[in-house]
Amino acid sequence: MSKLLLVDDDAELSSMLEQILTKEGFQLTLAADGETGLERALSGSYDLILLDVMLPGIDGFQLLQRLRQQARNTPVLMLTARGDDDDRVAGLELGADDYLPKPFYPKELIARVKALLRRTPATSVRQEATEFAGFVVDPANNKATCEGVELELTPTEFDILRTLVRGAGEVISKDQLSIAALGRSLAPFDRSLDVHISNIRKKLPTDPERIQTVRGRGYRILQFA
Amino acid sequence: MRWYHSLSLRLLLLFWVLLFTVASSGYVLALWFSKPIEPEPVPAAVQASLAPLLSDVETFRSLTPGRLLAGDYRVAASLAPSGQERLQLDRGLAMNHRTILMRQLEAERPEQFPLGNRMLLGPFEQQDYRILLTRPITPGEREEQVLTEKQTQRVQTLALMVGSLGIAILLGAWLVMPLRRLTLAMREIAKGSEKLDLKRLPKRNDELGELARALETTAHDLAVSRDAQRRLLSDVSHELRSPLARMQVALMLSHDNDNHEEQENHMAQLGRDLERLSTIIERILSLSRLENGLVKLQREKVDTRALVEVLSKDLRYVDATEGSRLHIDTDSDWPVTESDPELLRLVIENLVRNALQYTDDRIEISCQTSANDYTMVIRDHGSGVPEDQLSQLFTPFYRADPSRNHKAGVGLGMALSLRAAAVLGGTVTARNHPDGGLEVSVNLPLTGA
Repeated sequence: MSKLLLVDDDAELSSMLEQILTKEGFQLTLAADGETGLERALSGSYDLILLDVMLPGIDGFQLLQRLRQQARNTPVLMLTARGDDDDRVAGLELGADDYLPKPFYPKELIARVKALLRRTPATSVRQEATEFAGFVVDPANNKATCEGVELELTPTEFDILRTLVRGAGEVISKDQLSIAALGRSLAPFDRSLDVHISNIRKKLPTDPERIQTVRGRGYRILQFA
Repeated sequence: MRWYHSLSLRLLLLFWVLLFTVASSGYVLALWFSKPIEPEPVPAAVQASLAPLLSDVETFRSLTPGRLLAGDYRVAASLAPSGQERLQLDRGLAMNHRTILMRQLEAERPEQFPLGNRMLLGPFEQQDYRILLTRPITPGEREEQVLTEKQTQRVQTLALMVGSLGIAILLGAWLVMPLRRLTLAMREIAKGSEKLDLKRLPKRNDELGELARALETTAHDLAVSRDAQRRLLSDVSHELRSPLARMQVALMLSHDNDNHEEQENHMAQLGRDLERLSTIIERILSLSRLENGLVKLQREKVDTRALVEVLSKDLRYVDATEGSRLHIDTDSDWPVTESDPELLRLVIENLVRNALQYTDDRIEISCQTSANDYTMVIRDHGSGVPEDQLSQLFTPFYRADPSRNHKAGVGLGMALSLRAAAVLGGTVTARNHPDGGLEVSVNLPLTGA
C-alpha cells in the first residue's frame, strides 16, 4: 500500500481528498501547514507528496526547496490554485515532479498519483546500467554520472535522462519522454517536460547543450567527437 | 516653477536675441566688406579745365550755391572770410549731408567723392573764399557704385544664412533633442518599462523638465498599479479556485456515496462554497465599481448614531450572541451629516464584521466631531495586528492570520471600507491600541465634498 503525504491548509478539501484516496487504496497522512508538512516529509518515508503552494508559515515552494536540499528525492506533485503559468512552472524548477492546477477532477488527481507511483518502481525493473556519450545511468544504484561527475537528479529527471541515454543519440519525442518519466501524455501548453530538461541541463558539469532540443520533434543527446 | 523659468519667456528671449544678433552681424559684416567711400584727389585734367573759370576773384566771390558754373558743374557750398552770409550751402544737399559738406570745406586740397547720385568736388580757393562743386556721376562711376552695393548685399545674405543655420542648430539642441528623448521615453512606458532614460532632462526647471518629471512619475505609478493588478488577479484566481476545487471533490464524493448522512454533509459543503463564491464575486464587483467611480452618490441628511444603531439591530437579528458583542458609545458626539447612507453603512459594517470575525470579545464603536469632520472609531479587544502588517490590512485578500483562512471572511472587507470611505471623501486608518486590540478610525467630512 502506497503511503502519501498531503500538505494543504484547506481542511475541508483535505478531508474529502482523504476519503477519495483512501478508497483508492492509499494510506494518507495530512499536514495543514508548511512546518508540519516539512517535518513529516523529512521524518516519514512517503512514496509521494501532494503539496499545495499557498500555506501558512513556510509556503509550498520553500518546503519543496528545503526538502530537496536535504537530498530527499520523494516524488512531489504540486497542487496550485494560483492562476499564473509561471507559478505552475516555478514548482517544477524547484524540483517538483508534476503539477495539477486547482480546481481538478478527483479522477485526474488519482490518475496523476498512480502515474507517478507506477514510474517509481519501474526503475528497478531494468537493472543494467546504460552508457552513451559520457553519460552513465545506473538504475540499480539510482546513480547517474556525466563525464564521471555524479548528478543530483530527482526521480523524474533521472527517468528522463535514462530514456535519453537509452536512445543513444536518437531523437526521443516529448510525448515518449513524458510517458516514461511522468507516466502520462503531455497536455497542450504543458511546459513541464521542458522545465525538467532545463533543470537537468543546469546540473550538467559542462556543455548543457549536449542535450539538444530538436524543434517540433523532441530531444536527443549529442555525441561529441 | 518661477516666472523666469517659463519656457515661453525663454523662447521669446532666445528668438529675440538671436534675430537681433544675426541682423546686426549682417549689417556689421556688410560694412566691413563694402568698399569705404574714400575721397580721391580731383584729377589734374578736371582742375585744369576748371581753373580758367575760377581764376577771376570777383566771379569767384559771386559764386553761391545753386549757380551753374559750366557744363554739369554746379556750386554746392560757399564760404566767405566775413560777411552776413558767410556760409551758404545747397539746400538739397545740406538736408542729408551737412556734416560732410562742412568737413569738406575745411579740407586741405581739392578732392572728389560720390555723394548720393552726384559727385562732390572741392574745395576750390581764391583769396580766402572757398567753394564746393557737384556734378552728376558718370555711367562708369554709377556702375562701380552698383557693383559695390551688390557685393555688400551678398555679404549680408551670407551672414543671414550662416546666422539662421546657427539658430536652427541651437534650437535643435535645445528644444528638439529633449522632445525626441521624451518621445523615446514615452515608447518605453508603452512597452511597460519603469526605468526611463531621460538623462539630465528631469533636472531642467522649465516646462520640459516638468514634463520629464511628470513622465517619470507616470511610469512609476503605472508600474505600481500594474503590479497591484497582477497580484490582485493572482489572488482572485486563488480565491475562486479554492472553493471550486472543494466543490468538484464534494460533488464526486456525493455521487459515489449511498450513505444519506454523508451525502447531506457534502451537499452542505457544496452550499457553503457556493455561498462563498458568490460573496467573493459580489465583493470583487463592488470593489471594482468603487475604484472606477461607477457608484452614483446620494446626498441626504444622515443621523450617524441612528445608522449605527440600525446596524447593531441587524447584526443581533442574524446572530443574537455575535450581534450583542457590539457596544455603541451613546455618550459620544454622533453628528447628523450630509452623506450617502448606503455607502456610509458599507464602510462601518465591513469594519464591524471584520472585528467580529477576528476577535471573541466586545467591540466598541464611538465617534468624535470637530468643526469640519468627524471620526468614528471601532475598537476590538483581540490580539491586534503586527505593526509591520498594519498598512497591508487594506490590501485585497490580505488576512492578518492566514491559518484561520476559512473561518474568516473572504479578505475584502477592509479594502471595501477604504474604497467606500475614499468615495465619500474620507480616510480609514488602523493602529494597535496601547491597551491591546485593534483600533480602526474612519475620518469623514461633515458635509459632502
